[in-house]
Amino acid sequence: MKTGIIILLCLCTALSALLIGAAGNANVKFADGNLPDYIEFTIPAGWPKPPANIFAKNKLSEQGFQLGKKLFYDTRLSKDGTISCANCHQQFAAFATYDHDFSHGLNDQHTTRNAPALFNLAWMKNLHWDGGINHIEVQPLSPITSPTEMGETLENILIKLKTDTAYPKLFNAAFGTEEINSQRMLKALAQFTGSIVSSNSKYDKVLRGEAKFTYAEENGYKLFKATCAGCHKEPLFTDNSFRNNGLEINTFLNDYGRMKITGLPKDSLTFKVPSLRNVSVSFPYMHDGRFYSLGAVIEHYRNGIVTTQATLDPLLANKLTITNAQKYELIYFLNTLTDTSMTKNPRFAR
Amino acid sequence: MNNIFLLLPLYFLSFSNIFSHSQKTTANTGTVKITFINTVKGKPLELNTGNYTNPFGETYTVTKFKYYISHASLAGAQGVVNDDENFYLVDESKPDALHFSFTIGAGNYNSLNFTLGVDSLHNVSGAQSGALDPLNDMFWTWNNGYIMAKLEGRSPQSKIINNKLEFHIGGFMGENNVLKNITLSFPPGKILNIQPGKTSEIIIEADIDTWWQQPNDIKIAEHAVCSTPGALAKKIADNYSKMFRIKDVLNN
Repeated sequence: MKTGIIILLCLCTALSALLIGAAGNANVKFADGNLPDYIEFTIPAGWPKPPANIFAKNKLSEQGFQLGKKLFYDTRLSKDGTISCANCHQQFAAFATYDHDFSHGLNDQHTTRNAPALFNLAWMKNLHWDGGINHIEVQPLSPITSPTEMGETLENILIKLKTDTAYPKLFNAAFGTEEINSQRMLKALAQFTGSIVSSNSKYDKVLRGEAKFTYAEENGYKLFKATCAGCHKEPLFTDNSFRNNGLEINTFLNDYGRMKITGLPKDSLTFKVPSLRNVSVSFPYMHDGRFYSLGAVIEHYRNGIVTTQATLDPLLANKLTITNAQKYELIYFLNTLTDTSMTKNPRFAR
Repeated sequence: MNNIFLLLPLYFLSFSNIFSHSQKTTANTGTVKITFINTVKGKPLELNTGNYTNPFGETYTVTKFKYYISHASLAGAQGVVNDDENFYLVDESKPDALHFSFTIGAGNYNSLNFTLGVDSLHNVSGAQSGALDPLNDMFWTWNNGYIMAKLEGRSPQSKIINNKLEFHIGGFMGENNVLKNITLSFPPGKILNIQPGKTSEIIIEADIDTWWQQPNDIKIAEHAVCSTPGALAKKIADNYSKMFRIKDVLNN
């Protein structure tokens, strides 16, 4: 008799816990036990933990990822139906815009900054060259509503998605009901973009003992560690800080970078340090895409730094000493950061 | 065996009590309804049609007037009662968005506290829903964060395009934080009395005339637009933090 009571109470406890668990996850209600296929987001061996778990309140699932991918490649997210996220974020260019300083937006307009590559976003505290985006889920609001990019309103996009034949079913599969709202759309997009991880370049294979650098690459890596790693910190190849790297100001743009976000003079002309992973396929370089080759970038650090700007990063106060031979070795090393298992992965393709 | 079935409902009841984090409707609770009347110099605001004059003799109309209210609480003899983590967007253009209600314990209360704006955590929490849905046009997409209060209109003294008047006031960090904690006492002799199962109402007036002065002079000719966090936004928020007063308490 007593055992019976205990078993019953245990069952009740389990049931109550289940009910409370379901109530705590207010935006996700799955009928008929029809749960999506949840995916574990894996952190590559030896990598730091992301500053925040971007999937903590947006549980990553195969269905959510696939919905996000469809949205990412859907041109109907733009006002005239011609521009998708992927127009400016091309997989073969590590999700930057290949060979363009500025990308093309609605009605042949240009953006005012170089489209950043998209990978390892889970490790970024904030997004955009000026860090104005504080969470991966709300990033798409910026290009979607920018009049020079996709030029559309959130209201119109939701109408288009709701009247589509496929989307309600996909939202149901990912979130448990056919309801389509901005939160679900943005969370799905974050499941796709946040899942793009680049951790399998030749450099990574060398570190794992699966490949070997050539003599030139090895020399380039040594120089990199001595000269570049202060900002482009391994293994992400960025420290995610904002720095002024001494570029002459572009007087067409008069872009003062992070100061626009913080309003602080100390942030004048500072921009986010970009990752150097996949750098050889994500040219041109800098926030305004002014350099079309790695050689030109290295040349800037050797001879081009404007040393009179008050906010110039202290690490660049003295121009970098790099010989011609070292310059080519450095480029050989940077080429080992290309990760074709990401740039050619069918999982991320349309 | 009978004993077990007698015990089970008790068991469930105790379990649900442990996890209840807000005032659930029970025999000892009632409802407080908080109603906002937006005004200019004490007269109800007329969107689009009303012509108003600020303390500097500058004239203006109002086309949009919206602000966030959150973390409401009432203080009384039995302590402070909170309205959980609810956010409300008061919007002059929507009659349904001029009041909100929550459940509280029966008894007497004598002051109301709330936050004007959206706390810093909810400014950095990704895609949200309800009052915080970016669809409500109160979220900056290029410099993320919520617009805590929005006043738009026209003024012949405005020097920007189409004589626009555009105050989008936000900023949740550091010295440019515009979050305002507001405590309102009830008019002399008034208390809020909540009876079980009944609704009592607090009527609040929010007066736009406070936006222009004290402590900071805001002249439309000089500042017709404010759309970023910063010193100007802070000055305007310091002014409008005094826009509320409790007009009446209607006990039921």
